[in-house]
Amino acid sequence: MNLRTSDRVIYLLICSFALLNGISVATATELSPDQLAFFEGKVRPLLIKHCYECHSTESKKLKGGLLLDSKEGWMAGGDSGEAIEAGNPNESRLIESVRYKNSHLQMPPKYQLSEAEISVLERWVQMGAPDPRTGTKVTKAPGIDWEKGKKHWAFQPVARPTIPVVKNTNWTQGDLDHFVLSKIEAAGLRPAPDADRFALIRRVTLDLTGLPPTVSEVGAFVHDSASDDEALAKVVDVLLQSPSFGERWGRHWLDVARYADSVGKTRNIPFPYAWRYRNYVIDALNSDKPYNEFLAEQVAGDLLNATDKQDREEKLIATGLLALGSMDLNERDSEQFQLDRIDDQMDTLGRATMGLTLGCARCHDHKFDPIAQSDYYAMAGVFASTATLSGQQNRQGGSKQYHQPSLLAKLDIPPSTKPSDSKKSNTPTSNNEAQIAKLKNRLKQLQAEAKSKNNRARLKAEVTQIRQQLAKLGETEIRPAQAKNKKNAPEEAIDMDAALAMAAAEGRVTNLALRVRGEPDIKGDVVPRAFPTIFSRMQLPPLPSRESGRRELAEWLTSRDHPLTARVMVNRVWAHLLGRGLVETVDNFGASGAAPTHPELLDHLATQFMDEGWSVKSLIRSIVLSRTYRLSGQQLPANAAVDEANSLYWRANLRRLEAEAIRDSLLTAGGMLQTDRPAGAPFDSSDAGDLGKGNRKGKAEDPIVRPVRSVYLPVFRSKLPGMFTVFDFAEPDQVNGQRDVTTVPPQALFLLNNPFVVDVAKRAAARILEQNLPDEKTRIRFAYAYSLCRYPTEAETERALIFLNETKDKQSNWAALTQALYSSAEFRYLP
Amino acid sequence: MNTCRNTFTAVTRRGMLQTTAAGFGWLAFAALNAEKVLATPEDFASPLAPKQPHFTGKAKRVIFLFMQGGPSHLDTFDWKPELKANHGKTMSNSDGDKRKGGTLLAPQFQFEPKGKSGLQISSLFPEVSRYADDLCLLNGMHTSNAAHPQATIALHTGSANFVRPSMGAWTTYGLGSENQDLPGFITINPVGLGGAQNYGSSFLPASYQGTRVDLEAGGIADIRNRHLTFGRQRSQIDLIQEMNRDLLDKHPGNPELDGVIQSFELAYRMQTSVPTVLDLKTEKSGTLERYGINQEATQEFGTQCLMARRLAESGVRFIQVSKKGWDQHNNLKSALTENCLAVDQPIAALLQDLKERDMLKDTLVLWGGEFGRSPQDQANSGDGRRHNNSGYTMWMAGGGVKGGMRYGATDETGGTSVLGKIGTHDLHATILHLLGFDHTKLTYRYAGRDFRLTDVYGEVAKEILA
Repeated sequence: MNLRTSDRVIYLLICSFALLNGISVATATELSPDQLAFFEGKVRPLLIKHCYECHSTESKKLKGGLLLDSKEGWMAGGDSGEAIEAGNPNESRLIESVRYKNSHLQMPPKYQLSEAEISVLERWVQMGAPDPRTGTKVTKAPGIDWEKGKKHWAFQPVARPTIPVVKNTNWTQGDLDHFVLSKIEAAGLRPAPDADRFALIRRVTLDLTGLPPTVSEVGAFVHDSASDDEALAKVVDVLLQSPSFGERWGRHWLDVARYADSVGKTRNIPFPYAWRYRNYVIDALNSDKPYNEFLAEQVAGDLLNATDKQDREEKLIATGLLALGSMDLNERDSEQFQLDRIDDQMDTLGRATMGLTLGCARCHDHKFDPIAQSDYYAMAGVFASTATLSGQQNRQGGSKQYHQPSLLAKLDIPPSTKPSDSKKSNTPTSNNEAQIAKLKNRLKQLQAEAKSKNNRARLKAEVTQIRQQLAKLGETEIRPAQAKNKKNAPEEAIDMDAALAMAAAEGRVTNLALRVRGEPDIKGDVVPRAFPTIFSRMQLPPLPSRESGRRELAEWLTSRDHPLTARVMVNRVWAHLLGRGLVETVDNFGASGAAPTHPELLDHLATQFMDEGWSVKSLIRSIVLSRTYRLSGQQLPANAAVDEANSLYWRANLRRLEAEAIRDSLLTAGGMLQTDRPAGAPFDSSDAGDLGKGNRKGKAEDPIVRPVRSVYLPVFRSKLPGMFTVFDFAEPDQVNGQRDVTTVPPQALFLLNNPFVVDVAKRAAARILEQNLPDEKTRIRFAYAYSLCRYPTEAETERALIFLNETKDKQSNWAALTQALYSSAEFRYLP
Repeated sequence: MNTCRNTFTAVTRRGMLQTTAAGFGWLAFAALNAEKVLATPEDFASPLAPKQPHFTGKAKRVIFLFMQGGPSHLDTFDWKPELKANHGKTMSNSDGDKRKGGTLLAPQFQFEPKGKSGLQISSLFPEVSRYADDLCLLNGMHTSNAAHPQATIALHTGSANFVRPSMGAWTTYGLGSENQDLPGFITINPVGLGGAQNYGSSFLPASYQGTRVDLEAGGIADIRNRHLTFGRQRSQIDLIQEMNRDLLDKHPGNPELDGVIQSFELAYRMQTSVPTVLDLKTEKSGTLERYGINQEATQEFGTQCLMARRLAESGVRFIQVSKKGWDQHNNLKSALTENCLAVDQPIAALLQDLKERDMLKDTLVLWGGEFGRSPQDQANSGDGRRHNNSGYTMWMAGGGVKGGMRYGATDETGGTSVLGKIGTHDLHATILHLLGFDHTKLTYRYAGRDFRLTDVYGEVAKEILA
């Protein structure tokens, strides 16, 4: 909602407390004949003419909850409080609004009353607002129904459920299968058969690492003489240890952390150090950092005990979560800016960790959930007491720049020397190194030349070309020392290598005043910092007067007694692996969200998750080793007749891969993927300054051609790579726990025509042709195994043979065939 | 449409996609009133299939001529004799608002009554003013923010602060498209400010997002196949589709796979339809001349306008063309002259063509920027004006609005709208009304609540309805 569009916002939204109190209406006193004459002659016609359209019981739509067609009406006031203070025009909102001096409060909204009309109303109020119109019943919207709210399933403590008994005990692998099978059996159905090993190895490898298995990995698994259980367990343990695991599952978390490398909105200034948080997340997943610690560090890492310097630094970087929000840097009102920042933090934390849409209570009591507006401001006080170090400030006046290194956290250890970085840095071949050095030298030369005015265009072209070549060599650290573009000069003074991080720190401890209708200027009561009332049955840690309260917030959030934290996380993991959450609305566990289809299973997983030390890897392991995960997608008509939507999980859901997994699979197929983590930021200082400004034609390189994993490409808000947008990458503006799956023609155009895909197909075809294989049939067999992890059917082989014989050019035919394989739905869907 | 809320039991987009058996989730919505689907195969209804609005709207499509930067209403379409009379007068900072202070700068161009209606239009628009009797000047425009980015995004999406679907996406969501070989919403040369937000679909299904056409970059991304002959590509697509159908056989009725198959066919057709519709070579030289495509000053915008006409004729629902550079803090006279020269003749040609084809009656043409400019001189240079969001002008033509009308007004000197005020949400409410929608009922459920283009605001400017 646009809070600043104020001249129309009069009395619109609901501020609760005025309404909750009983409305007492004074009995109508007798009016003097003069008063009556004045009211009937002047006031009533004026009210009818200018006000009744929106403020009477006859109004099509009552505006602002204010009735002006009865004394009871105006005495009860509107949504934003008292409308008339009898005898005191200057204290009456009605008079203020018709005077048109307050741009937030102007009535009637479309035009101003004449001076004479205004003075009639002023005189009337001055007289004590004598009003003969009585007898109208005033009804008001009810407030929060706390009793009902408390009963909502998601606020009940997590209970350890008993494992249900099933008939077919041969089928179940682990406890969770009992929960799934018992429901299937209760519906009189049976589960689909298991997926074959070809499908299973592809599914589990892509699920855990975001990369397809190699042909030899497929072969090893398919021919493993061990039982299905043992063979799968072996593979899963290897995959969980792969660094690729964190790159995939870290990205899942980055979706809900609304991670981005630029601030977005009006002045889209990049975040040069956001990548440290990104790496923190990936590393945390890889080291299986317990989820409760993972959360606590992101909320209050700066306040937690650290074992050493590096640990402290890591915990500081973790708080980057709070600083990554999308802000409107062009917002000149500092208070508005701060409240918007807090709202981003509330909304992100609420939905990402608790599935609670706290942000809905910023302007009014939550419409669906038991979150009062005062609850919002109570918790918001914690963030108001926190300094958010995003490295950016809103512009007030025009002279200051948006990027402010002083508004960042300083790190003790220069990150480039960090062992974790050097371990993961590029290890180019010596050949490459020489070439990179050469290119870099040339680049420096060009940049020096570019300072003189001649030949700019040609130089630019060559610079772009060199950057592309460097990118292809996996070299992303290109940092011209000097800014080239005068217009962006102040913004470009960014030291990309500085030991700085986005983070949170303690601010001045303060309590926030409630804002009526969310308007910064209209302050209500100051609300002491606290956790939402609905959680009061938990042991809530008291908030200290000398600290922001983030430490306690983290403690509360990660408490075993918190009814939401573990449930929300296990549900996210389940949704990623099974295609749909047990609670389908993964970011909303409130009353407007979906109810769990398997509430006991949800609690079982949550309990087990906490019992096993909040280990995400253990949780994933237990799910992928279950029988449920292993099902094939086979359609069973009898089941479909009862449960077509597969809400019982009687078969595998067909799941489309995310943009990153599609792209990384393509890079793998073309033999182009470099699996090492590129060092530093995913962009260079030439990307500093407002990304929304101008066309930036010099930056024509499409980042998707870089040979790095997709998680390491820049995530500039509003400037995502075309391929990401087309394949439904998570909009990085807010929490996004479940991506959309669209099927639009630009996806087909990308696969059919994009030079990157064409290049991949050519390279993949060359790799297939390189194999020492006897004939086309065998090559086709290999191509299918290589691309889709399975062998072709007879019919498919025949089709491919015909296709390969349509023209004479063998290379081109094979490139077209492999491109067809990569364009097929099968390539981008998990079996 | 007001039954949307009841129709959708699933609460997420993905949920809808998965649980609706009949194809795409929003098919349920389409099916409420769907016309016969024109050009798609039997058992599949495209999300872009034409849909009936709430009531019969006069406008069937929109062409939005976006003038980014804040064109001066005071020198073009809002005649203020008092401003002329009070030239040089110093205004006080009333209410402590420094924006209200400064020296008044008279209109810099001559105004004259035009057409039978006698609409006052300045000498900057000699060609457009020939269609004065078709124009409905909205002189009472105002918006909440005086900064370009916020105001631009708000104009397109209704919200300056949040990522929301653009009005073109809402329009296409509501009405579908009349041509199944083309996207329903196309934006030509979109401005950088606000970026993809200006034509994004946000939480609406991606089918409704604007497809961008970049004239310099050669049109739509990846629209051309450069490595296979057409026949060879067809045979490649046949191979892909056979694989897709095999997969669909294993997952009968799967809406996503159904969608994949359809998307390849539409993509294949777009490779021909898009370049064809954007190819101006088939136009007569006289037409190109009328649009000014043969002259440097008008070439770029003329090309956009002619393309817009061709897209409109082809059944595209929402077409936007853009012209940047209306931010005249200085060089008011020369820059404004140059800008108006660039757009005047092309716009007139567009209006003429629409009239000749009897399409103006159901095509809403909307002209304007994100805000206007101040009556005060920028820096007493006599040649610049500041931003002004509290009063400015847009105009509409066709699509069910009264022609030859001046609706709303700014105060005497043109700084603040005082009559017939139209804010951003009111503008959107009015456009949706013209298209046949009750703006309070064109909703989409997302993240647990129903969203509208107009949020909780918006009043239709009923007085301008023909």
